Amino acid sequence: MSDWFFPYLKKYGRRLCLSAVLSVLALVCAAGLLFTSGYLISKAALRPENILLIYVPIVGVRTFGIFRAALQYAARLTSHDAILRILSEMRSQLYARLEPAALFIRSRFRTGDILGVLSDDIEHLQDVYLRTAIPGASAVVIYGLWIALIGWMDSLFALFMGLYLIILLIVFPLLSLLRTEKSRKLFSENRHLMFEKLTDAVLGSADWMMSGRQSSFLSSYDQFERRTALIENRLHVIRRWRDFFSQLIIGGSVIALLYWAGSMSADGHMSRTLIAAFVLTVFTISESLIPVSEAVERIPQYKEAFTRLSQIKSAIPGESEKKVGEKWTRTADRLDIHIEDLSFKYNDDDDWAVRDVAFNVAQGERVALIGRSGAGKTTLIHLIYGALKPVRGKVLINGAPADFIGSDLSHQISVLNQNPHLFDTSVLNNIALGNEHSTKEEIVRAAKLVRLNELIEALPEGYDTQMHEAGDIFSGGERERLALARILLRNSPVVILDEPTVGLDPATEKNLLQTIFKTLEGKTLIWITHHLVGAEKMDQIIFMEEGTVRMKGTHEQLFRENARYRRLYQLDVPEHLKQAIKKY
Amino acid sequence: MSMDREILSYQGAKLLFALISFLTLIEGLCIIGQSVFLAGLISSLFSGRSFFSEGDQIVLFFIAVTVRYLCVLLIRTAAYRFADRTSSDMRRIFLDRLFQVGPKAVKREGTGTLVSLSLEGVSQARQYLELFIPKLAANGILPVMILVFVFLKDPISVLILLITMPVLILFMILLGLAAQKKMDDRWTSYRILSNHFLDSLRGLPTLRYLGLSKIHAKSIERVSDRYRKMTMGTLRLAFLSSFALDFFTMLSIAFVAVSLGLRLVDGHILLDPALTVLILAPEYFLPVRELGQDYHATLDGKEAAHKLSHLNNHLQKEPTNDNAVSFPEKEWGTGSTMVFENISAAYSDGNGKEALKGISFKINGFEKIGIVGASGAGKSTFIDVISGFLKPSSGCVTINGSQVTLEDSDWHDQITYIPQHPYLFSGSLKENIAFYAPQATDSEIHSALQAAGLESLVDRLPRGLEEKIGAGGRTLSGGQEQRVALARAFLCNRPILLLDEPTAHLDIETEYELKETMIRLFENKLVFMATHRLHWMDQMDRLIVVDDHTIKESGTQDQLILKNGTYAALVRSQLEGIL
Repeated sequence: MSDWFFPYLKKYGRRLCLSAVLSVLALVCAAGLLFTSGYLISKAALRPENILLIYVPIVGVRTFGIFRAALQYAARLTSHDAILRILSEMRSQLYARLEPAALFIRSRFRTGDILGVLSDDIEHLQDVYLRTAIPGASAVVIYGLWIALIGWMDSLFALFMGLYLIILLIVFPLLSLLRTEKSRKLFSENRHLMFEKLTDAVLGSADWMMSGRQSSFLSSYDQFERRTALIENRLHVIRRWRDFFSQLIIGGSVIALLYWAGSMSADGHMSRTLIAAFVLTVFTISESLIPVSEAVERIPQYKEAFTRLSQIKSAIPGESEKKVGEKWTRTADRLDIHIEDLSFKYNDDDDWAVRDVAFNVAQGERVALIGRSGAGKTTLIHLIYGALKPVRGKVLINGAPADFIGSDLSHQISVLNQNPHLFDTSVLNNIALGNEHSTKEEIVRAAKLVRLNELIEALPEGYDTQMHEAGDIFSGGERERLALARILLRNSPVVILDEPTVGLDPATEKNLLQTIFKTLEGKTLIWITHHLVGAEKMDQIIFMEEGTVRMKGTHEQLFRENARYRRLYQLDVPEHLKQAIKKY
Repeated sequence: MSMDREILSYQGAKLLFALISFLTLIEGLCIIGQSVFLAGLISSLFSGRSFFSEGDQIVLFFIAVTVRYLCVLLIRTAAYRFADRTSSDMRRIFLDRLFQVGPKAVKREGTGTLVSLSLEGVSQARQYLELFIPKLAANGILPVMILVFVFLKDPISVLILLITMPVLILFMILLGLAAQKKMDDRWTSYRILSNHFLDSLRGLPTLRYLGLSKIHAKSIERVSDRYRKMTMGTLRLAFLSSFALDFFTMLSIAFVAVSLGLRLVDGHILLDPALTVLILAPEYFLPVRELGQDYHATLDGKEAAHKLSHLNNHLQKEPTNDNAVSFPEKEWGTGSTMVFENISAAYSDGNGKEALKGISFKINGFEKIGIVGASGAGKSTFIDVISGFLKPSSGCVTINGSQVTLEDSDWHDQITYIPQHPYLFSGSLKENIAFYAPQATDSEIHSALQAAGLESLVDRLPRGLEEKIGAGGRTLSGGQEQRVALARAFLCNRPILLLDEPTAHLDIETEYELKETMIRLFENKLVFMATHRLHWMDQMDRLIVVDDHTIKESGTQDQLILKNGTYAALVRSQLEGIL
């Protein structure tokens, strides 16, 4: 709340106030229209000799009639403008908080589509202003004005009216908040469970069919849904009855006003022409208080969004942010990586994610990094990339600690990862992300090198086709090729390949690897891989296990000396098949 | 519009419509009564009578108000019940159909769409169903009743009210259309701008690697700002339609008031009827204003309801014309045989991707069959046909000599299917393992766990077997996911095993360990395995090589190598170095 609501309330307070004032004025006009109409008719009923006597109320009626719509329109526009400004700034704030942890988003928020949820949260938070803050504030002001108007004529009745309308302004909203909070919470939890169950039903439909348990799922889901529907029904019942009683309260307020106006006029304290005016107005005023209940009822819903957003802290443990000399912003010709006694753990009481790792990579060397998931490969890469600060030991890039270079290291080291993100812009812009200074010719040349040029040319608008339309055309292998084109434009001396071929079939994998190795000739390659295809062409093969290096050497060395390596290599390249096929 | 008419075809809709119309009629009478009594009260007070002398009018006024809102309450309750029942029926049919057509339809329609349709879509549809009939009744009945009554009191005011309504509706529609057109014109830029933020968040790691993540913050600000300006441009137009609604309503009321005032001065009308008309004027516009407020909600709901009923019709399973009365083989055994004769199959989405053309083969007992071929050649279709997910378009399948359909649940009961990414349900590890055999005892689960090599994982989990996995739970690695699937298979111990590329995505050490476990699982089972990984072929009795949607060759691995055909070419191209 403190980070995501009050600062905005403060900064955009004036705009929000303006829109609240406009909507109050619109309501005043609506009330004014009825007030002057009532007065006009009553005055006219006295049949004044001079028509000019009712001229003022006639003008009043028309003015209020016209202004009501115009003010309402202005109020809606100003409120939306203010809110869109707030949303825009909230987006920037969220981005700024997530950005330092960019590389860890996936590992930190494992569950579901947290980014989608956060982005939705921000969208939903516009209701805080649109449906709660502005209507709530307007209702309070209208209430105040109305009571003040009556108080000006009769303070005792104003006190009565004030207390009476408190029922609509405060008692009902609080009651319905208390009555519904629990059910609402339960309801939203159940909705979440329903979402899980449905996802399970849809994604796991093969298993349901095979297990023959469809009908048991359907009946259990049905029961669950019925229970949820009961909760929802309860919420609806409360709302319906609340609205019903609100209308009765309004009816009561009309009768009270009739009594008051009647006796005021009988006692000569008030002109009898005002009776109709006041009675007609009270409808509009009281009705404007009804939405407060709904505005208040929504408050618990915002809490969840605020909590989620507040949990995004900008600082990441072990992550470092720093700056050194300018030379790093220019791409170096040669880059040597020296890793010494490197150890890292994410938290003090965690196990070592990387332990006592040491090796060197000279410019132009090719290193394969192999290990099962959780062996520490990704952590090691993050350390080399300077995104994590070593707990012990060091990673030196041309003699400088990697974590000192910070994001400038992106000029020296490129990364080709699994599922590279293709942005929702043109194909051309997507490739150009690799280097914003590149010309169209350079981009096309890169596309030709990665053998995408023909495919892109064949798209409806060639390089200007939007990725949104082309996205489906690009297969997994082609997406990697596009990301490779970005890397070619960057022309950095070191490229990290983070399992770019997982999920591709062998033919596609082979073609892609051929393109990668051909186009990145002469660059240092650090290749995280899960197979041993191509291992024989590597200068070093490093096997990682539980954070440490288990085996290290060239393919020939390992194949000669290490039985385990031979066994694994057999899986990828069955020797007897190789022999058999050679005969033909 | 067709959807609007469709509503009345739902069960109970006509009765509900009659009931709501009746209640609306009473509501209308109460509205008129409420106005008459209130006007009477005011004019009595105006003429100097005391409040207490009008006791009966006050009581009548309050009764009218009470009955009016009681009617509203009843209408809302009845409409809600109807909508709730109808939408939940829709959802039930929808899920039912979904299970009948199976995973292929899911892939075709997209998981996200289906889930959100059965959750969000159903509740939007319910809202639409809930609002539609009451609004229809209110707009059809209330304004007419009020007009007729006002006509009796003051025909001139009727003229003003009558003229305003079509003008108001016309302007609303025109401005609404203009706003829609503006939206449509800018649709592309709209979509990009509104997606830009989420797109940026998703691409954050990529931006970071490209050294652009810091600069991109500026771009977010800029795009957000452009989005705001563009949205405001559209809103300026879109809000005009509710402006028109407000403007004409208020103007009309003002005209009524002024015309009443002028005629009161002239003595053509008395205060009491004049007040009645004035109080009724806003009530005349109320239904159409409420319609305007809920317009968008009903539009979304209408769309969702339409989609649901469309999909429900679309997903309808073709009637099974099986003459096989009962499935001939309840438990596949060593002596069982299955023959495919000239089977062809195609996916119903029309472009005929990965179909099969006239395949024939014969399977005996517990053979281990490898299915090989380039990707897109038809391997997965092959598996889909055997599993009964896809119904062959022609040809016949016989088991032990009698013709069968493989969509039969007696056939499904004999199969375990393990895809590349087995689906983990959101639930405990134990529930996931016991998915195919929910009645399994703890000791059975334990031995399955042991057989699948999951013990060490369970020991490491803080809550052991009760640890929640799947969506919202602990993430398992690819190898662990496969082991869960294997544990399922060990536990239910069905005689037929279908595997679709189970290990290609795993790292080689995990693959090596899994292979040992899997070979144990293969014992005494009929196994079909579609894979690119050549090392599996040593475990297979026979290979079926699929190419260009048909069976190119089949035989043992040695035979196929000797034959030097498609399989040999495949092996050669894979074993050649990559450089």
